[in-house]
Amino acid sequence: MDDSKNKGTATHSIWVFGDYRNYFQNRVTLQLLSRANELAKKINAEVCATVFGHDVDEWVGEYIAHGAQKIYVLDDRKIKDYNVDIYAGLMVRLIEQHKPEIVLVGATSFGREFAPQVAKKLLTGLTADCVGLDINDKGILLQTAPAFGGNLLAEIITPERRPQMATVRPGVYREIPHNYHATGEIVRLSLPKDLPKPRVRLLSAERQTQREQRLEDARIIVCGGRGMGSFKRFRNLTELARLMSGEVGATRPVVYAKWASQDALVGQAGRQIRPQLLFSFGISGAIQHTAAITGTDLIIAVNKNPNAAMMKLSDVAIVADANQTCLALIKELKKSLRG
Amino acid sequence: MYRLEHEGGVSLDFYPCMKHKVIRKTVREFAEIEIGPIAHDIDQEARFPWEVIEKMRPMHFFGLQVPKEYGGADLDSISYAIVIEELSRVCAAIGLCVTVHNSVGLYPILKFGTEEQKRRFVPLLASGEIIGAFCITEANAGSDAGGVETHAVKDGNHYIVNGTKIFVTNGAICGAPLIFAVTNAKNSKKAASVFIVEKTTPGYSVGEIEDLCGMRANPVSSLFLEDCRVPEENLLMNLGDGLKIVLITLDTGRIGIAAQALGIAQAAFEASVRYSKERQQFRQPIGSFQTIQNMLADMATEIDAVRLLLYRACAYKDAGVTFSTEAAMAKLSCSTVASRVTSQAVQIHGGYGYSKEYDVERYFRDAKVTEIYEGTSEVQRMVIARAVLTKPS
Amino acid sequence: MKFVVCIKQVPAVSELPWDPQTGTLMRDLAEGIMNPACKHALEAAIQLKETLGGHITAITMGPPAAEEILHEAIAMGADKGVLLTDLRMAGGDTLVTSHTLGMAIAKVCPDVDLILCGCHTSDSETAQVGPQLAVELDVPSVAYVEHLEVLGTTLTMRRLADNFLETLEMDLPGLVTMTTKHYQPRYVSLGGLNDAFLAAEILILNADDLGLDPERIGIKGSATRIQNVYAPKAQKENVVLKGAVKHIVEELFARFGDRIAGAIGKDLDGRQ
Repeated sequence: MDDSKNKGTATHSIWVFGDYRNYFQNRVTLQLLSRANELAKKINAEVCATVFGHDVDEWVGEYIAHGAQKIYVLDDRKIKDYNVDIYAGLMVRLIEQHKPEIVLVGATSFGREFAPQVAKKLLTGLTADCVGLDINDKGILLQTAPAFGGNLLAEIITPERRPQMATVRPGVYREIPHNYHATGEIVRLSLPKDLPKPRVRLLSAERQTQREQRLEDARIIVCGGRGMGSFKRFRNLTELARLMSGEVGATRPVVYAKWASQDALVGQAGRQIRPQLLFSFGISGAIQHTAAITGTDLIIAVNKNPNAAMMKLSDVAIVADANQTCLALIKELKKSLRG
Repeated sequence: MYRLEHEGGVSLDFYPCMKHKVIRKTVREFAEIEIGPIAHDIDQEARFPWEVIEKMRPMHFFGLQVPKEYGGADLDSISYAIVIEELSRVCAAIGLCVTVHNSVGLYPILKFGTEEQKRRFVPLLASGEIIGAFCITEANAGSDAGGVETHAVKDGNHYIVNGTKIFVTNGAICGAPLIFAVTNAKNSKKAASVFIVEKTTPGYSVGEIEDLCGMRANPVSSLFLEDCRVPEENLLMNLGDGLKIVLITLDTGRIGIAAQALGIAQAAFEASVRYSKERQQFRQPIGSFQTIQNMLADMATEIDAVRLLLYRACAYKDAGVTFSTEAAMAKLSCSTVASRVTSQAVQIHGGYGYSKEYDVERYFRDAKVTEIYEGTSEVQRMVIARAVLTKPS
Repeated sequence: MKFVVCIKQVPAVSELPWDPQTGTLMRDLAEGIMNPACKHALEAAIQLKETLGGHITAITMGPPAAEEILHEAIAMGADKGVLLTDLRMAGGDTLVTSHTLGMAIAKVCPDVDLILCGCHTSDSETAQVGPQLAVELDVPSVAYVEHLEVLGTTLTMRRLADNFLETLEMDLPGLVTMTTKHYQPRYVSLGGLNDAFLAAEILILNADDLGLDPERIGIKGSATRIQNVYAPKAQKENVVLKGAVKHIVEELFARFGDRIAGAIGKDLDGRQ
């Protein structure tokens, strides 16, 4: 793989912004490097990464091992903390100098604030939260992003302005496995002398325990609605979730009836859940709820009403009493779960 | 959603105005979020949801057409009808509480009261601190208001009121209901008057809450008045003006009830449309069958037609012209349509429509009483027939 | 203190009808509501105004019907509403939207201290307009703010970003985008709504009023183009299981046991 680098012959470059914070949970930069390599083949480009911060050599090494052929590094104590304003200014200067064809940024909280500012300063186009990137037959980046709460997909292009920019959600692409033999060109740059004073200053940053993100990070969610019937019956879902080391989710009417707390609400603007397995008990399927679960791999819905919207959206639709089914599942799991 | 302007007459303009759209959306959002999730349960348990009332007070739900100087929202009548309709669409029992409070509990004091009476009672009612009601019906006096036996006898500067009122909407929660009582039994004309009787009056007590078919979250009850000493300052207008007050008040009350019935019909209709799209039989949605389509078409048309009748009555009222017949027509038609549409809605839902798991059976139960209270449909027809026959031909 | 709140009217998602034939949204049929995050931003501004005093201008860009949300904003507590409406502005991407809004703010409230926006809209969800507007006006910005406090000419904020609970400080004038976590919007009183329609101060401006170059607005001025909108193919086979609960559970594990076990990360006895 390291031999196929077309350093000397590349006519374009595809850049990936190195977002290394939370490195072990957040692999989006690596995922983008992987995709960038595939796109690069189609337009004869070289894949570069940018890394800003202080004491960043570890990440530089990682990015090379995961597909970057060239890395632009800005390493200085003055920029050791992420700062949208400052980093955007630095990125814009770099881009104006080297003129990449495409710039990709992971759609982390930082990326979603940083990329728009870079795009605006360069007066170029940016597509947010892409779930797909490709090169079309005209050699242009085809950006696929969800629209209208995830119910629809839009294909977007930036026909004229450059660079073509996109932010991409974590989990859309798979990273290239770590290649110890990979080599790459490291370009170390120094901080411009006229760096402006930061207008936004970080006073403190505490790493949050995973509590806040329980639902968003959960692999298994057992979700219940009004169809469970009562608070007592709703509690059976907690037992089911516990057996599978999953989380409990709830619809708005359930939170209202106080059978579950506000944190369990599935169907809140911006809280997208992406479990591998979702059980949906006694939920009819109001759009705000169903729009929030579009990323699920396997949905098993249980409802007495075979025509509820939720039943149509699921992989498995069980027409039965929600509570009875929950209890039967608990019994079965207790019997057959090993270890 | 049609604005009918009135400048020196009543001109028609059917295009919805922005204010009415926004008021509708605002009330709908509030009702769906705050009342929606509990509507089923409070009907089942026959529980009056004070926690929601708390939230409704600062929003002026209890002073909808009260002038600003008394702390009200000063809404026009179409806006008022929209508010009641949207509340009733989610929970008819709460819509009932609010319309009875506004139209018959508060309005008479505003219209007929002295400055002193208005000052004493209107702000408290408008803020929702006390809930209003109007008590006419008795065991022997339903449609025949002349059969009322509750009586008030002068004693110094008080009146002693005795009697029992039944089926009082908001009965168990009202703070200063208006009581329709006979005040001149000796006179063969049997004149009646209206008194504001505060619940703190010794001798005033509330009977058991009625176990009703529908509107179950509304605490409808009897009121017992045993030797209640009511100060003469609480007499509304003059002795003998009772019937006049009642007739004029009921015109306004009918607009509220018509709006309530409309809301119920609208809810049942929307549920039917949704169900027709979802429910599949014979491998297609039932909405593709002509029978169902005919039903939905008729429902849509009827609801729209009676909506216009309602808004016309509202426009006439705001224009200051007499609107008794128009109000009667609105009440009659809206309640009839509500009964018909809710019955069809249950039919469209089939077996599920008969189950408490769906809301349509509640709409069906709630709708029926709109044909009965505040003047039965038969009484409304009397009013309309009289108007028709007295017009010179 | 002078506040500007940018609000947007979006289709109420539960009613969004989409025409699979033409692949376009039938926006006209859907009821419009104020975007929830924008409403929270407005509530935050109102609460700040209640503490510090000041003036709130609500601005929105959209078709004439968007005026509705300006009345709502005034009923909630804004002092003035501005509607930017012009057919030439339609269909623009965030680059031109931020330009248009920026020009409007420069015109109607040049001495603004704090601009508040919703973190994203329920219809496009790009979350880009806020940061790009800040660049347009050359003011600092912080996105996804949960809590705000003003001390003199600095704003202190708390937010959750990438698993870090951050406390930041920003010089004013500046811009923030607000999440829906706090600042639950107050319900509007019906009297307030009535008043907002009787005596509302709503300014309606078009592209010429703002001195906008027609080449820099709307579809013409956009950097991005939407080529196609489509419904993601339902990969769900939708298996229906009916009958006695015991048998349902047996069948469920027989057919999907391995996928369930995979998600749980443990083996399920006797399923292989």
